Amino acid sequence: MTELKINGKVHQVNVEEDTPLLWAIRDTVGLTGTKYGCGIQQCGACTVLIGKRPVRSCGITLGEVAGKDITTIEGLSPETRHPVQKAWIAEQVPQCGYCQSGQIMAAVSLLERKPNPTDKDIDRGMLNLCRCGTYTRVRKAIHRAAQMMTEA
Amino acid sequence: MSKTIMNRRTFLKVSTLAGSSLLVGCSFSSPKLVSTKEASERELGLWVRIGKDNSITLILPSAEMGQHAHTGQAMIVAEELEANWESINVVTAPINSEYVNPELFNKQRTDGSTSISAFWDKLRYVGASTRMMLTQAAANEWGVSVEECKAENGTIFHKNSSKKLSFGELVLSAAKISPPDDPILKKPNQYKFIGKSVPKIHTPSKSNGKAIFGYDVRRPGMLFAAVKQSPVFGGQVSSYNENAAKNITGFDSVIPIPNGIAVVADSTWRAKKCLEVLNPQFEGGDTKGLDSKKIRNVLISKLDDLGKSEINAEKVLDVEYEVPYLHHATMEPMNCTAHVTNNSCEIWVPTQFQSNTLEKAMDFTGFSEDQIKIHTTLLGGAFGRRLETDFVIQALTVSKALKKPVQVVWSREEDTKHGFYRPTSIRRFQVGIKGDGKPFQWESQVSQPNLLAQFVPSLGWLNFDPMTIPAAVHDYPIVPKHFYEIDEVNVTHSPVIFGVPIGPWRAPPNSINVFYTESVMDELSYLAGIDPLTYRLKFLERSPKHRKVLELVAKQSDWGSELDEGQGRGIGINEWFPINETKTIVGMVAKVSVSKRGKLKVKQVDCVVDCGIAVNPDSVKAQIEGGVIMGLSAALYEKITIKEGKVSQGNFDDYRIAKMRDSPEINVSIVESLEKPTGTGEPGSSPIVPAITNAIFAATGKRIRKLPIGKQKLV
Repeated sequence: MTELKINGKVHQVNVEEDTPLLWAIRDTVGLTGTKYGCGIQQCGACTVLIGKRPVRSCGITLGEVAGKDITTIEGLSPETRHPVQKAWIAEQVPQCGYCQSGQIMAAVSLLERKPNPTDKDIDRGMLNLCRCGTYTRVRKAIHRAAQMMTEA
Repeated sequence: MSKTIMNRRTFLKVSTLAGSSLLVGCSFSSPKLVSTKEASERELGLWVRIGKDNSITLILPSAEMGQHAHTGQAMIVAEELEANWESINVVTAPINSEYVNPELFNKQRTDGSTSISAFWDKLRYVGASTRMMLTQAAANEWGVSVEECKAENGTIFHKNSSKKLSFGELVLSAAKISPPDDPILKKPNQYKFIGKSVPKIHTPSKSNGKAIFGYDVRRPGMLFAAVKQSPVFGGQVSSYNENAAKNITGFDSVIPIPNGIAVVADSTWRAKKCLEVLNPQFEGGDTKGLDSKKIRNVLISKLDDLGKSEINAEKVLDVEYEVPYLHHATMEPMNCTAHVTNNSCEIWVPTQFQSNTLEKAMDFTGFSEDQIKIHTTLLGGAFGRRLETDFVIQALTVSKALKKPVQVVWSREEDTKHGFYRPTSIRRFQVGIKGDGKPFQWESQVSQPNLLAQFVPSLGWLNFDPMTIPAAVHDYPIVPKHFYEIDEVNVTHSPVIFGVPIGPWRAPPNSINVFYTESVMDELSYLAGIDPLTYRLKFLERSPKHRKVLELVAKQSDWGSELDEGQGRGIGINEWFPINETKTIVGMVAKVSVSKRGKLKVKQVDCVVDCGIAVNPDSVKAQIEGGVIMGLSAALYEKITIKEGKVSQGNFDDYRIAKMRDSPEINVSIVESLEKPTGTGEPGSSPIVPAITNAIFAATGKRIRKLPIGKQKLV
């Protein structure tokens, strides 16, 4: 039994401690917004926040995150009002949308570290893959979110 | 326009559902039925459902895979219906002959960039008819003529008074009215939605994790199946360690699937763990002993069999071009959920091809169409891969054995190693040019895996692969000619079968042929000593639209202006679908820089699109932007190779795709048009490839004739 604190709520998760966090979030806790894309921390579709740090949840086990503050896409804002989400909607970023939960979580964390990121910061900080090719809009949305967050 | 044909063949059916909604259907085939109150959803072929609460549900024929088909199709209905956009919900249609795609062999499928063009007339007709019935219902209620009534924003207004009734208040009486024979469609200058960048319906749910893809389907009591198929294509399972799997918590069972094995457990991760210790071994297979070198040698020897031509000219281009196998690499790996019982079969699947899914399910279960239900989820990318049904068969196989709902989940490695790859290809060009630079002899031989033989094995004997023709300069009879007017063309080809599965990859045949054609045209322009833009325009005298697109993109990209050292611009142009009567034209100019150490950066891509009426201009732009990135990714990095009969790549670490840092500035302009809309999902991904390689030549003098660019020395 592992105690997981996800989006401010405590879940008692009764699966093996070597289970990757991704699968506990999806299969056990039942939050399917966090996606499986590669399983080897390459694509970033499974990105969640642990504290304020972006973590690829396919590559970290339950045992390593027990008791820590975990935020998934569902926990960002109950009404999709997080500035990054608002920027995503304003720029109409998603195409198929499968990678976007991970993109958004990575962007939230990038903006924590760099409240006003340059294009180069975005190149270095956004390593999530998108097959539909929404990168130019992801970039614009991050700049827009940065502006909204500074103005707020 | 096919208006008269449509009126003869089309009509609407109307009904009420449980006394609460107006249902509107429309059929292209069955006899006229009007206002059949008892009509079931199924026989009605629903398109629009309006509830008493004013909610409007649109049942849309195309799958949503990121191309924003649902938004575009909903806009078309909403336009004619005069609906309140906020009240609209959309769902992907269940399997029903009413939803077949008239541009794709009357099958229920989503590909070929046809979601808007194929349903443009039908959706407007449905929307307009429904609006007219609602208007008539209001007129009847008020005892006035319909001319005095006006539909706007989900409400019917009486022009001469303050009377108004919402759509929801009118549904019951509207359902008793006969649909109009000749619905009146709006004129383009009356459009409120069409031509506007209406925010996409799924953007919020794709920004908060609520969008449901195939992998997210959850059913009561469901199990999860991890699968492994023979890495050598067509091989069989020889052994596995079931006892080891049994020791894993949550293990349920081991079920054989075609060319592989499935292991079932109570969660995705436990199924994956079971599969690892099950450690299946395989033997045999169609591609045993095959590798990329052998494939290449066969292609070259076939090309040599076709023989080279004699060209007597002062200036001759004699070159060979080559492209590799490519994988679709959708972000959502293949998956399917099925529940087969003794007398029913339900499937939840991210599919581009409901008709084929149904056919396979009927074959497999022996059930009739009535016993099978198909739910199309959102698709986490498709690009042609989800036209296949291999993952459906697996889910049916496992669920039928267990009589429980089962989700088959592929790992990324399984997805990469069991694709239906864009074929590899080698093509030779020998072109002689005259003094004015125009070709007087155009000889080309091509050798590539035969897509037709794989799709329709019974036609394999034809030894003919139509994929080599459209978007290439050719001399095949019947098939419309390429837009570049070139005479004295002689093209021969040699289709080959290797056993490596191949399939349509975003924009077949353009994904191969546009690279070839636009590269060769570029080479010829330099050979002739003529600017690449001016050279192309020489061949477009009878193609004013292509001319215009090229001229506009040249202007937008500042073509011909001076660039810094190590920079260059390149052109690419294509049309979609090349042999259709009406088609989309996309022209691009890429600007690249190549550093002194040979490091390539695609800096800027300018695009001009002529797609008729752009129903949602921002969707058009998004599709072209996405196409540019996918094409750039293929040009720079992507390559599937074969070793010992197996695909060598497995995951994103060795099948590299474009990242944020690779993405250039992309500027897309749309040509103003009032012509019928044509598709934009595919024509963006092909011209970017030669635009980049032509720009590299302009920057460095290095001509790329083999993809990907990869680590080829550029300086």
